[in-house]
Order: sequence, then structure tokens, then C-alpha cells
Amino acid sequence: MLSWLKKHSLIGSQALALVFAVAMSKGSGTGVILAQEALLDTPAADSSAVAEIEHLPRLNLDNPLRLNFSGSWEKDFQRSDKWEDELSRMMAIRQERSAIQSAGGGGVLGPSVSIGNINLNSSRVRGSSIVDLARLAEYVSRQTTMDIYQDRNEVRIERRGEADLVCTLAEGPTETFSSDHGAEMCGWDRQQLVFRAALPGDLDIMHRFSVSSNAKVLRMVISISSRDSAPFNLVQAFNRYDAPSDPFNCTQTITRGKVCSQTTILE
Amino acid sequence: MLSCRSSNFSFSTQPFFKFRTSHIFSLCVFLLLTACGQTAIAPDVILIPPVGSVTLNRSIDTPTSGKQLDIGVLVFENQPNGQDAQRFGDWVFAEIRDNETHYLPYVLRDTLLDSNQWGAVRVLPEFDPSLDLQIKGTVLKSDGIDLHLKIQAEDSTGKVWLDKTYADTAYESDYPESIRFTNANQFDATGFVDPFQDIYDQIANDLLLVKETFDVPNLVNLRRVSQMVYANDLSPETFGYTLNKTIDGKLMVSSLLAENDPMLARVEDMRLRHHLFIDTVDQYYEALHKEMQVAYIIWRRYSFDQINEEEITAQRAFNPDQYGRSRSFLSLTQRYDRYRWSKIYQQEFRELASGFNREIAPAILDLNKDVYGLSGTMEEQYIQWRRILRALFELESG
Repeated sequence: MLSWLKKHSLIGSQALALVFAVAMSKGSGTGVILAQEALLDTPAADSSAVAEIEHLPRLNLDNPLRLNFSGSWEKDFQRSDKWEDELSRMMAIRQERSAIQSAGGGGVLGPSVSIGNINLNSSRVRGSSIVDLARLAEYVSRQTTMDIYQDRNEVRIERRGEADLVCTLAEGPTETFSSDHGAEMCGWDRQQLVFRAALPGDLDIMHRFSVSSNAKVLRMVISISSRDSAPFNLVQAFNRYDAPSDPFNCTQTITRGKVCSQTTILE
Repeated sequence: MLSCRSSNFSFSTQPFFKFRTSHIFSLCVFLLLTACGQTAIAPDVILIPPVGSVTLNRSIDTPTSGKQLDIGVLVFENQPNGQDAQRFGDWVFAEIRDNETHYLPYVLRDTLLDSNQWGAVRVLPEFDPSLDLQIKGTVLKSDGIDLHLKIQAEDSTGKVWLDKTYADTAYESDYPESIRFTNANQFDATGFVDPFQDIYDQIANDLLLVKETFDVPNLVNLRRVSQMVYANDLSPETFGYTLNKTIDGKLMVSSLLAENDPMLARVEDMRLRHHLFIDTVDQYYEALHKEMQVAYIIWRRYSFDQINEEEITAQRAFNPDQYGRSRSFLSLTQRYDRYRWSKIYQQEFRELASGFNREIAPAILDLNKDVYGLSGTMEEQYIQWRRILRALFELESG
């Protein structure tokens, strides 16, 4: 490859970008090294290009690349599901199915039931009604803003009045919390961040976060199910906004409690 | 029906995934979450009878020099705790346990000195061949309520004095209001009693019981062996012949050097220098102990409160019989709120743990600061020092 670059007289940052891109496309973890070699071998390599290398992201295949969720987010009510509408939609679908079952003499799932019953063909030990699940979904997702902090190791989602959702960026499911009142696991489903809380009485609450490629829109899907009931899903959209910077920098100590210092922005 | 196999697990996913058409991969992630989310952590159950209320056996008179044994209390070890790796973020507690291994031996050292039954007692990072008795400790469990320690003590001949597991339990009365430090109520080390002082008193008393089985000639012999073990450590080629192993594996002096032997004088000279060094090392641990003490007392108080709170909330945990078969909205929100608050509480406790580690980090750094001419951690400096002494001895002996 280096000889090919020389042959085509690609110089400086052009060569650098190309080699890096090829290395990336081949799934190689040595993009930076290759780029450095290319630069050094190119006659027109200059110091500014070398400085450019210093700022290149280093590929570390042990640390999976994740989209950046960090920032302050506010709910976009226009693009978010309203729980009542979503509930109506689900009920309409169920009633339609029920009507089809009635007309067709019943399906494999059991005897047909009257229209209006929203828990059609549920298992013998019934979960909560879809109405209650929908109301709980609204209760769980009532925050209108959230702050997300992300570094190389973890992503932390802070919402007022709620416990933080914290997850590692590494692969595989991770247990983040457990107590007598429930347990939580988190993990990554491709570029989606998933938190799943299992509460007593087979109540499951799942949060699924995804961010648009331009990092301007965040989507949070809440799925709530009880026992074997079908989950109730609520999609919430958030837009990034510029929150005013916190004038205080606080750290927790044991002997002095929370210690804060005022941050001064120098002109 | 889809199924995803991961080690021993196989799960049906039909009901949950009617609404999605995602990939097998996502199913695996989700199902692993499903499987693991309901795994409860098995608590460590160690049934060790607590020492109860113990009175330290103090001596009014300082023991005569023949009865004074020099003790080294090694920095404690930690028994690996599987729970640290189970939950994301729990490494802050592992860090606290690491810090405790430097703090707890100093409390034992203070107790032994307080009993006035021994010679010099020092905290050391490594086994030291110049001392008469070495104490090794392993922290099996340590929180605001329970402290479990495994203690092994062995003298220079190889005789085991103690190999025992101790447990102590702290109660509300062990955390008096006076330890809620404020500007008006500053910490006073002289009036402070460790919540687990009984465990250290019991260890000191047990060691004394063993010591009392030794008569004076035995104690003198023990000190001679210590002297020769140190000489051997300096130069095994020169002093190797002075010690023999008995059938039961104990060391005994087989050949005594004359009182005025110049080699013996050199060994004693080296030993003196070495003791000056380990006195300095001990002072470093003392400084760490002082720096850490207030934060550690408060931390344990938090831990005590947290465990009590957990026990209380566990009693209020979801019970289907208690709730009836209610799956109403009220019941759902109650369950969610309890979960939410227990998680918030745990996160705050974890934040306090981080605060504790942050606060004592400078003291830990200080512990590892360089003694003149030596560098690295305290353990590394100690090893370097012993190497220097050996080289010096060789040089002086020609």
C-alpha cells in the first residue's frame, strides 16, 4: 500500500486520510500506525501533518466504538408518543383482532372474547391490565429533561427524581443494581443502550436509548410488561439543548459532606 | 419460537418479541439481561461466633527485657470477594477494602502496645526476618456491622502461635453520638474506642496466653533464633550452620557464636540499622492511620446505617400475599417507587464510598512516598532496603 501511495504521489494529509480510511474499512486496528508510516515515507510530509496524527483517534478494538449520547436533552412533545393515544391504538388493534377471532370462530389461543375486553387471551395468571401498564409507562417517563455524561468507560443518564442509569461501554450484559426491590442489568444492542429492570411480581421495565447519527435527537423507548402480558411501549423523543454551565463544581467527601467550589469563566 | 443458548441457558422469547423484528444478537443481549436480571446475589454467610465483650489483659509493669518479644504485624490481606465483580461500579468498595488492609493492622499494633506485654510492635509491608513474632491477618468481612479476621501468628522458630478466625459485631452503642463530628465536636483520638476493639483485645489476649506457656529460657532461646535467622538472611553462606531444623520443622540454634564474635557484632549493628528503618516504615503507617481515622470512622458509621436500612427495607420487600393479587396501577407504582428509592439510596452510598476513597487518596500516596534514596511503593522500598543491607554486610565482611 505504501508503494501504491508513492506511485500516485499522494502527499501529506491526503495519504494519511486514505490509509486511515482503508485500515478502518478492513477492520484493522492499526490505522494510526499505518498512517504514520505513510506520512514518514511521503516526501512532502511536514510537521503540521505529524501534529495532525497526534489528534487522530486511536483505535482500540477492546473498547467498542459507541455513539455519543452525552449532552442535555429536552423532551420533544411533538415527536413523543402520548400514552393515551398509544393506549387507544393498542386497544383498537386488540379489538380488531378480537373481532377477527369472533368472525372466524376463534383462533388457536383460546375461546373468543367479547369486544372491549382489553386483556384478550392472556395467560391464566393474568398480568396487569394494559391500562395500568400504560399509566406506569407515563409515570416512569414523566421527566422532561435529562443530562447524559459519557466517557471512555461509562455512560450515565441523570433524570430529576430518578436513580441514574449507568452502564459500561463494554460488550456484554452488566449487572448494575440489585436489591430486594428489584434488579437491573444493562447492555448494548448494537448502538442502542438497553437497561432492563426486573421488579418483584414479574414486572419488567426496559429503557432503550438510541441517538441519531448527528447526535441531535435522542430516542427513548420504554417497554413495560407484567408476567406474560404483551409489553406496552412508549416512544419518547428528545432534542439536544445547550444547558447553562453549572457554576459550582462539587465533590462528595466523607468528613465535610459535599464540597463545592465556584467555577469562574476567565475572559 | 426463537431460542438463544448461552452456556447453560435456553430461553423462550415468543411473547416478548412479537413487537420487534430485530436480530438474533439483540435477542441474546436481551435474554441475557432477562436471565441475569433476576439473579439475586447470594450473601456471604460465614458463621463465626463473635468474640463478645472482651477486656484487654494489660500489664502494669513493663516486661523485663528477657520477656520482651518484638512483633511485626504485616499489612493485612483481603479475601477475594466475588461480589465486587458482580455489579458495575462496585469496585469502589473493593478499593475501600484495600485501604482497610493498611488501617486495621495498625489498630492491632496499638492494642498490643497498649497491653504492655511485648517489646516493639510495628506494622510492616512484608515478612521481616529480624523479628521474634510475625502476625498475618486476612480480612474476611468488613463493614459497619461485622468484622471477620483470620489471624495467623508464627514465631521465628516456626512455631504457630495462632491460626484462628475472629468475628465481632458492632451495635448502635458502638457508634455514639460523639462520633458525629462537627466544628463544635472535633475528633478526639484519646477518647475514641474502635467499634471493633473487642476483636483486637481478644487477639492480644490469645497471643499473651501462648506467650505465658513459654518460660524465660524458652523466650531467650526464641530471641537467639531470631538473631540467627536474621544473620542467615544477611549471609546464608556465613551463618547457615548456626541453625537446624527439628523433626517437627521448627528452627533451633545448633551453634552459638561467642558473645565477642566480631561477625555477631556486625550482625547486631545491621539489625539495629534495620530496626531504625522499620521504625520509619511503622511511622508511615501511623501517619496513614491518623490521616484515615476520621474519614474511616464516619464511613463505618454510614455503612452501619446503610446495612440497617437495607435490613429494614428488606422486611418491607414485595410480598404477594401481603399485597394480595393486586396488579393495579397503585400496586405497580408502589413497587416501582420502592425500587427507585432503593436504587437512589444505593447510588448515594456508592458516591459516599467514592468520596471516602478520594479523601484518603493523598494519605495512601504519602505512604508510598520515597524514603531517602529508595523509591516505589512501601513494599518495594522495603525490599530494596533489605537488598542494600545484604550488600553492605558483604562489603563490610570482605
